[in-house]
Amino acid sequence: MIAVGIPTTDVNSETAELIKWYVADRAAVSEEQPLAEVETSKAILDITAPADGFVLHDARVGDQLSLAEPLAFVFASVEELERHVADAQVAVAPSSAERVTEPARRRAAELDVDLDLLLRRSGDLITTAVVEAAADPSPDSEQPLPEPLAAPPGIRRIALIGAGLGATQVLDILRGDEEQRTIAIVDDDPKLWGITVADTPVIGGVQRLLALRAQDAVDAAIIAVGTSVPARVRLREICRQAGLPLANAIDRTARIATGVQFGSGNIVCAFCHFGVGTTVGDNNFISAYNSFDHHSVIGSNIATGPGCMTSGVVKIGDRCRLGTGIFIEPHVELGEGVRVASGATIVASVPPDHTVKTRHTTTVVVPNRQ
Amino acid sequence: MIYARALGQALSDALGGDERVVLLGEDIADPYGGAFKVTKGLSTAFPDRVRTTPISEAAIVGVAAGLALAGYRPVVEIMFGDFLGLCFDQIANHIAKYEAMYNGQATCPVIIRTPSGGGRGYGPTHSQSLEKHFLGIPQLKVFAASLVHDPSALLSRALGQAAPVLHIEHKSLYPLEPLARSEVIGTVVDLAGGDAPPTVSIRHVPRESCAATVVAYGYQAEIARRVQARLALEEEIFVELLVPAQLAPLDWEPLEASTAVTASLLTIEEGTSGWSWGTEIAAEMSRRRFGQLRRPVEVLASAPEVIPGARDLERRVLTGEAQIEQAMRRAAG
Repeated sequence: MIAVGIPTTDVNSETAELIKWYVADRAAVSEEQPLAEVETSKAILDITAPADGFVLHDARVGDQLSLAEPLAFVFASVEELERHVADAQVAVAPSSAERVTEPARRRAAELDVDLDLLLRRSGDLITTAVVEAAADPSPDSEQPLPEPLAAPPGIRRIALIGAGLGATQVLDILRGDEEQRTIAIVDDDPKLWGITVADTPVIGGVQRLLALRAQDAVDAAIIAVGTSVPARVRLREICRQAGLPLANAIDRTARIATGVQFGSGNIVCAFCHFGVGTTVGDNNFISAYNSFDHHSVIGSNIATGPGCMTSGVVKIGDRCRLGTGIFIEPHVELGEGVRVASGATIVASVPPDHTVKTRHTTTVVVPNRQ
Repeated sequence: MIYARALGQALSDALGGDERVVLLGEDIADPYGGAFKVTKGLSTAFPDRVRTTPISEAAIVGVAAGLALAGYRPVVEIMFGDFLGLCFDQIANHIAKYEAMYNGQATCPVIIRTPSGGGRGYGPTHSQSLEKHFLGIPQLKVFAASLVHDPSALLSRALGQAAPVLHIEHKSLYPLEPLARSEVIGTVVDLAGGDAPPTVSIRHVPRESCAATVVAYGYQAEIARRVQARLALEEEIFVELLVPAQLAPLDWEPLEASTAVTASLLTIEEGTSGWSWGTEIAAEMSRRRFGQLRRPVEVLASAPEVIPGARDLERRVLTGEAQIEQAMRRAAG
């Protein structure tokens, strides 16, 4: 496929008008054959075919064409042309993107709000406030919210944020903790209010947590949202503003070597290993069987899947998201916001905001033999 | 229909609807149809009343003044706004003064249309926005073309009054399509301006949720509108954009009403900074809303430098999307 542009050095014009087509759409053309006539503010030009082939019009007579954009394409074969047309039709699927802000889209995913319903209900811009109002439609519900559990004096009172699967993991980790006790769970989905997760009550939304903090009824929080890095970042900021410290939840089977430094708000699942001199930032969710060997530096707001292994002196930047079963060679540095597909073996550093993909999949699914 | 065509159509309607309308300017007749093709086809349709003139801006505007005093409705095209300097005396000392000097017994309703602005690499003398030097001349109205005002309605408003009008048309607007109001998520409303054409208000959420008021005209209003939409959709930074069609005298009511809620104001223009439209607005609004704004009025204008010809250098000097985005973030902060 060759794009056909408008060849001009005319600095007076940024557009040209398409006056007429010399050849029909999809017709066969030969190299140098005139395709169309266009007019800039200074001159009328003939546009010729760059090669033999079949032409696809990409403009209509009377259009103002940008001098930087093609007005037609020439394909070597009819089949190639047809494929291009079919692909282009798939690409221009109608979208409601312009009606929903990006933060609202993320919030709707967190709160499990049906955006299509909101879009049908209103012609206005869908903002975070609209999504949150839709998620919390019942300020009139008279059900009293449950109270947090009690804790003996001297035991740190912990509230979990998020009542999903992440919470069950954190509750399990803290079960054997003699210094901290989970007294409550909060979640912004009102459908969960009043239920218990492993005997711990869901007492309301994040606002309730902030109110409890103001009454000095809770000492620290743990963000129990495993998979969404943006949600972890947002909730951490809410806690910071409310002066609510984040506690670490580290499974008692984790092996923590000499000189390891932990920030706050980290969740470390079973059988993890932190090698000598490793430092860990804040607000990370480290799944089971992760191993960060000696003198590695783990940033903040990171989420990993099970079985991620690094060699020594590896750096993992803030907001990284690692899949399952990943190996990282010594001295490799992952920049901020890097995402790594499951099964990757990383031998070289990755710049910020890039994604590491695996080139091949090793899973082949076949029917069972009889 | 692109803006240049819409303007040409408005001129065609005016010529067809009023025998007194005449068009004068350099190279405006067919087949050239004007440097930016606005008048294309008009000399063919109205050969007696659409005239190409010699290269003398002072003479063109002087002739227009005489025609207006004699009862015609002349519409002049000055090929580039930079050449307004050549007709400054005719405008400031004659056209704008006649009505008052003759105590209303004579009027001089000349409309002077001219393309302004840079961004196309035309260099120091074909890229400027000199309109700030014409703001505040008593009895002269300065209009600015925009994609949110109907060019036909603006032109008939100008033709229907006795005061002379300088009609600034940023050249980057010519190939653009006017804004389809139905495509804006939120509200686009005309705020009636009494004697002045309406100021258009664009916002994506109710005014109470807007963190700043932004006022811009011409092509800068179009860039501001794109930045406004992007910040709203990507980050929920909401501002109200006000686009006046008449720069001077300015209708203060929309600015007062909006800043009463947002308490923050940003002005945007492409002319050079200092002694400008924005500084005048800043002075006046600081007086009208003394002590009620949460931050000083932010005035965004181009660097006070001669505009370079090389496009990358030009981009550093002129007010552009990056500067507008930064200023909008500051104003909303």
